[in-house]
Amino acid sequence: MTTTEIRTTDAANPGPAAPGKGGLRGTARLSKRLAVDFGALVVLVALWQLATSAATTPFFPTPLEIVENFGKMFFTGPPEHLFLTDAATGDVFASLWRMLLGYAIGCAWGIIVGTLLGRSRAAREYTDPVVELLRSIPATASLPLFILVLGGGDFMRVAFIAWGVSWFVLINTASGVASIHATMLAMGRAFRVSRVRQLFGIILPAAMPKILAGMRIGLTAALILVVTSEFMVATNGIGFQLIQAQRRFQVLDMWTWMLLLAVLGYLLNTILEVTEGRLLAWHRKARD
Amino acid sequence: MSVTVPMTATRSAVDAMLQVEGITHVYGQGATAHRAIENLSFTVGPREFVSIVGPSGAGKTTLLRILSGLLTPTEGTVSLVGEPVDGVPEGMAMVFQDYSRSLLPWLSIEKNVMFPLTRTEAGRDERRRIARESLEAVGLADRHDRYPWQLSGGMQQRVAIARALAYRPRLLLMDEPFASVDAQTRSDLEDLVLSLRDRYDMTILFVTHDIDESVYLADRVLVLSRPPAHLVEEIPVPIPHPRDQITTKETDEFVDLRGRVARLIRSGGQPDGGGSR
Repeated sequence: MTTTEIRTTDAANPGPAAPGKGGLRGTARLSKRLAVDFGALVVLVALWQLATSAATTPFFPTPLEIVENFGKMFFTGPPEHLFLTDAATGDVFASLWRMLLGYAIGCAWGIIVGTLLGRSRAAREYTDPVVELLRSIPATASLPLFILVLGGGDFMRVAFIAWGVSWFVLINTASGVASIHATMLAMGRAFRVSRVRQLFGIILPAAMPKILAGMRIGLTAALILVVTSEFMVATNGIGFQLIQAQRRFQVLDMWTWMLLLAVLGYLLNTILEVTEGRLLAWHRKARD
Repeated sequence: MSVTVPMTATRSAVDAMLQVEGITHVYGQGATAHRAIENLSFTVGPREFVSIVGPSGAGKTTLLRILSGLLTPTEGTVSLVGEPVDGVPEGMAMVFQDYSRSLLPWLSIEKNVMFPLTRTEAGRDERRRIARESLEAVGLADRHDRYPWQLSGGMQQRVAIARALAYRPRLLLMDEPFASVDAQTRSDLEDLVLSLRDRYDMTILFVTHDIDESVYLADRVLVLSRPPAHLVEEIPVPIPHPRDQITTKETDEFVDLRGRVARLIRSGGQPDGGGSR
C-alpha cells in the first residue's frame, strides 16, 4: 500500500514508522476471529443443550428453553411499544439508565481528577496512599454504607455506580497523563499553545489509550454494580427481578435475566470497542 | 574572502536578535546541586546562523530550554529583540531532537503543522494554506494527509521543520535536530535548513554535538565547556555561501576550523588544551 511506498523513499532510516498493514487484511483477520469466536460459542451451547436435556435437575433449564422464555418475557409487548414488554421497558430501562448515568458521572469524575493527579507529581505522591487504600475496598462492599447514607433510591444507586467506576478511570487517566513524554508537552508550551488547547489538543488525546482502557474495565464494573445495587432495597431493575426469581424458585426466569445481562454486557462492550477503534485508529496503526 | 558572509562579526547589543547575559543555572539544592551553566553570555545577530557545540552533558539542552522560556535560569537574563524573555516569547519556534515525540501521532502532518497556528489571526483556510506552503518548502506537499508514523524519521523531522516555518519565527531554535537520522538524510536536511534560512529570513540557533555539522551550517560556532558550561570560544566561520556538502568540507578553511572546534571540545574548555582530563 501507500505506506510501503513512503518507506522505500527514505528507507535507510530507523524511525518508528509503521509497516503497511492494509485495511483489507485487517477485515479478513477480523472475520476470521469472529468465526473462531462464534464457532466456539456454537459448540459450547450445543454441549450445554445436550447436558441440560439429559440432566434431571430443575436448576439447569436448557438453553433453548431460556431463549424461548427470553423472547416471551421481553418481546411480546403491544406493537405501539415496539413489542417490548413491561419487563423490558420497566426493569431493563430502569437498570440501564441508572447504569449509564452512573457510568457517565464516574467516567467524568475519573477523567477530571485523574488528569489533575497526572499533571502534578506532588499531588500524585501525596494522594497515592489514599487512592490505593480507597480503591482496594471492593466497590460492592461499600454498598451498605451508600444505602445507609443516601437511602434506597435511584440517587444512591447512581452514586454507588459512579463511585465504583471512577477508580478504574481515575487511575488509568492519571497514569496515562503522567506518562506523556516531556517533549510533547514542551512542544505545546514552546509554540505558545493556549492551556485549554494543550489540555484538549495534547494531554487528553495522548492519554486517550489509557483512559479508554480504564473506561472499558469501568463499563464491566458498572454492569456488576447496577445489578448488585438492585439486589438490595430495590423495587425494580434487572438485579431486583433476578433475586426475586431466585427467591420464588422461578429458575427459568432467573436464567433468562442472566442471559439478558450477558447480551447487554456484550452489546455495551461492543459499542465501546467500536468507539475506541475509531478514536484510537492512530494508536493501533502507529504501533503496528 | 568573507564578502558573502551575511553577518559582520561585530554588532552592538541594540541590533541583537538574541542577547544572553550572565546566565547561570543550578539544578537542585545543597549537596546534590548540579551547576549546569556558569555565567554564560553571548549575542546572536539578526539573520545569523549560530551553532552551539560542546561535550555531551554540557548543558546544551538546559541552555535551549532557558532560551525558549521553558526554564527560568537561576541567574542572568535573556532578551529577544531587546525584550527580556519571561515565559515563552513570541516569534520563536523550536525543532526538537525527538521528532517522534514532538509530532502528534493522532493528527495528519498538515494538521500537525497547523496545530500551533490557532492563536494567529488567520482563519482556517488561511492556516491550511500556510501549512501547505510550509510542507511544500520542505518537500512534503504531496504527503499532507499522511500521519507522522507513516513517514520515515527524516521526513518526520521535515514535518517538524515545516511546523516551525509555518509559525513564521524570527528566531528558530534547533535542539540536535538531526541526531537520530542517518548520514545521507542528515546532509539533505542540513542543506534544507540553510536554504530555508535565506528564504524565510530567520535567525537560527542550532545546538549539535556534531563538529562538522556545527561548522558547515554556521556563521559562528560557540564552543561550550564541560559542566558547569561556560563559553570557551566563539569561532566565526567566514566560509562563503552557498556551501556544498563535498567541496566546502574539502577546503583548508573548513578542515582548519573543524580541527579548532574539535580540539576545544576535547580539552573540555581547559585553556591548556590537554587531552582527556
